[in-house]
Amino acid sequence: MSTRERLRGLRRLVEEAVEHGSKAVEDVHKATAARTFTVLEAIPPIAKPAKVVHTVHDLWLSGIYGAIRVGNKVVGKTLEVALDVSEDPGEREREP
Amino acid sequence: MGKKLELAVAVLNGAVGDHLARTGNGLATAMTLVANGRPLACTRAALAAAHPEASARIVILVHGLMCTEDIWTLPDGSDYGSLLARDHGFTPLYVRYNSGLPIAENGKAFAALLDALVAAYPVTIEEIVTIGYSMGGLVVRSACHLASVAAPTSAWLALVRRAMYVGTPHLGAPMERVGRVVAKLLRAVDDPYTQLAAELADLRSDGVKDLGDADLRHEDRARRLPRMSLRDPRHPVPLLASIKHFLVAGSLSTDARLASIFGDSIVPLRSATDGSCIDAATFALPPDHVRIVSGASHVALAHDARVYEHLKEWCA
Repeated sequence: MSTRERLRGLRRLVEEAVEHGSKAVEDVHKATAARTFTVLEAIPPIAKPAKVVHTVHDLWLSGIYGAIRVGNKVVGKTLEVALDVSEDPGEREREP
Repeated sequence: MGKKLELAVAVLNGAVGDHLARTGNGLATAMTLVANGRPLACTRAALAAAHPEASARIVILVHGLMCTEDIWTLPDGSDYGSLLARDHGFTPLYVRYNSGLPIAENGKAFAALLDALVAAYPVTIEEIVTIGYSMGGLVVRSACHLASVAAPTSAWLALVRRAMYVGTPHLGAPMERVGRVVAKLLRAVDDPYTQLAAELADLRSDGVKDLGDADLRHEDRARRLPRMSLRDPRHPVPLLASIKHFLVAGSLSTDARLASIFGDSIVPLRSATDGSCIDAATFALPPDHVRIVSGASHVALAHDARVYEHLKEWCA
């Protein structure tokens, strides 16, 4: 396996780690908040507004974590392009 | 730097190598022979160039989890392979592989590698001696099992008459089983943070998971097998009778009970010796086929002069 293939592999692994890591933290974040919202949503006078706030809160969280994942993909793609550009055309032939 | 980088890649492969292979990641290590730290193609020309005085007797060394062939290097720069070349005229060959893959996968790859080796080796092979360290021993056993049930039987199997296992957890590794229980307990708790911890605890490669019960076949993972001697014909993957098997275990304690439980700190004596040190029952290996090296930790077993003395004696 050539050094460049390994670099590409490392880039991909870091990207996957950020992708899955942010998803896992997002799930924990939402599940933790859901406990409080569940209690609030069970109280009749504030149930409706609590549901609205819950939905907004989850959407907001999805936006934040989604932005992290998009940023991660952009950085990954940029690195991939940088690796392609920096590749000497003859190098691939020389590498075992 | 090169060796350190290769070691870092090997550790990564041991930890998440199954994921790397599944996703076609360039960091996944394919099983290969290596010479002087570089892959050695299994072709007649490459083998002849690497070993101009190739012997008809070869010794093939298979490393363990999260390491490379560098684990075999003794403080003086020699290793069990080069010493056996000097003392008994063997040609040493070293294998590198992705230790995060299921043991069954690596066994299959090792069997294929030996098929290719026998076909390409520059001289007719008279004998193949295998030395497997830790997980490497299980990979060897898995390959031998596959070769024995293949139709027709693989040609290389008849050439393997002696197999040596150094610190190999034949009856499994309790530390992995503890990890499995911890992950299961965490999963059972209905709490988002605990679930996250369970997910992290479960981030172990298939290779690591297979070590828990020394699962040599895919089907063994699905059902836990009763622990029985490897020479017991009822064992799903018994030690092949056509091969002489030799076991080396490490023991950090001189106290028999502590040694039995902790062994070399990773593999208990009972697991590394197939129970021979405790239960000299019907299926136990001959006593001179099992050696315990006191004061040797699991890692040290791969490059210990006392271990080599046993290997040298068995290879005579």
